[in-house]
Amino acid sequence: MQIYLPIAELSVNMLIIFGMGGAVGFLSGLFGVGGGFLLTPLLIFSGIPPVVSVATVSSQIVASSASGALSYWRRRMIDMKLAMVLLFSGIVGTAIGVFVFNGLRKLGQLDLIVSLAYVTFLGSVGGLMLTESVRAIIDARHGRPAPLRRPGQHNWIHGLPFKMRFKRSKLYVSAIPIVALGIAIGFLGALLGIGGGFIMVPALIYLLRVPTNVVIGTSLVQIVGTMAVATVLHAVGSQSVDAVLAVILMIGGVIGAQFGARVGQNIRGDQLRALLALLVLAVAIRFLIGLVVPPDERFTLELVSGGFVP
Amino acid sequence: MTRAVLLATVVLAGLTGEAGAERLTIALSTPEVKINSNFTGTSLTIFGVVERDAATVGRTTAGYQVAVVVRGPGESVVARRKDRVLGVWANNASQTFLSAPSFYAVDTSTGLSDLAPAEQLRRLQIGFENISLIDARSTASSDADQTTFREAFLRLKEQSGLYAMSTGVDFIGDTIFRATVWIPANVPVGHYAAVVTLFSDGTPLATAEDRIFISKTGFERFMFAASRQSALVYGLATVILALFTGWLAGVIFRRD
Repeated sequence: MQIYLPIAELSVNMLIIFGMGGAVGFLSGLFGVGGGFLLTPLLIFSGIPPVVSVATVSSQIVASSASGALSYWRRRMIDMKLAMVLLFSGIVGTAIGVFVFNGLRKLGQLDLIVSLAYVTFLGSVGGLMLTESVRAIIDARHGRPAPLRRPGQHNWIHGLPFKMRFKRSKLYVSAIPIVALGIAIGFLGALLGIGGGFIMVPALIYLLRVPTNVVIGTSLVQIVGTMAVATVLHAVGSQSVDAVLAVILMIGGVIGAQFGARVGQNIRGDQLRALLALLVLAVAIRFLIGLVVPPDERFTLELVSGGFVP
Repeated sequence: MTRAVLLATVVLAGLTGEAGAERLTIALSTPEVKINSNFTGTSLTIFGVVERDAATVGRTTAGYQVAVVVRGPGESVVARRKDRVLGVWANNASQTFLSAPSFYAVDTSTGLSDLAPAEQLRRLQIGFENISLIDARSTASSDADQTTFREAFLRLKEQSGLYAMSTGVDFIGDTIFRATVWIPANVPVGHYAAVVTLFSDGTPLATAEDRIFISKTGFERFMFAASRQSALVYGLATVILALFTGWLAGVIFRRD
């Protein structure tokens, strides 16, 4: 069932795209992540231009994160103040990200930087997650209890100035790391077409000591906001958001996520994290292979923007 | 049915033409290609008739040959070559082709070498190697290097289906012919030109030209125009759509 994508300007099989959205949605529901880091590469590997993939996935992430954020909102599991600080710094990061994205595109180095960034971030986050979760699984096997988080525990981050109070998270912490985190996630999100939840959640838990019950909801609110801004900026900056592609992905994604979430409830947390880590590492390795293995076709063509007027 | 009518029109048009040397009259199966949501490509048929007068009837011994060239609007394309830089394959040298045809399909009744001498084909831009590509801003080191860029450009265009070469022109009798050109789904929109050249004994006798307009229609046209002309509204609308989809999913699948 072929459908013509008006912005990507090519004809794709609607069921395959729908299936991709559904499969990634399933995994995102299973692991509680946005899935952008899987969906964007999948679209690129299936022949959608990288520019369109990155820009369109940002709108798909809005849809998938919004339904999650709403559910956490109803359960009052969001620290709105923290989310807003993250969001506003995230918007700054997104604007820088879209600017860099268009600059790299003009230089012809977008694909390279996107690949390098995927290898670096997914490789390191995946590696960390895998070590942590494997250790947790081994501990559980040996009957050792998981290490408890001591409330009084502080790290260097808690010594920074410009402290802010976050009542919902019971935190009194410097605004500097929060703003830096927001900017970094926004930047990466706009550049790579990812929501960044899989970086944000561990950073909030391990660096800022945000209580785990508000972490996911807060991170989702921030992702909805920054990805919405990214969508608009991509639409204005590179005019490459394909709404038809986005709708197919959104519908597939939200349906898949429901099934994923149900399956996820029956799997233990550490095992889920280990599986997610393997998935993240697999994507990183796929990009690494693309970088180091000699390509079959060394040449690529790209339309110089404004090349023809329809 | 429509083809028969078209053919009849062409024949009539040919017959009522003024007398002279060979005259060429062509007609297209459709002057407009509309791209809609289920567009997966379409074939374009070009009918032609050669009208001869008494002076020319006996002249040709080799019969007629025909070359049909369909060209899309010009575009600027940058070709990039990956080289190994610090252990990874990265885009390195590049070459920009200014005003290269976005689409180029040639259909001939015989192989190019039997059609006309090389210089004639070059002048008429018949065949891939004869397409004039104005190259500029090259970072290729040598002329030989530049040739590889040109070859790569042609190869990639051919792979994407936007450049095509075939020898499928069909003569129905001595003076009526039909050529078919495939317009793929990834075709750029704009004004296309179909140029038909009639040859005999390697000499071009007559040419005829017609235009085809390829455009998006209905919803596809609306979406494309909106994304270009009111990008901000388009972006905001996409976000609202995404929020609505997320909200709807939350309502439908609500469990708590």
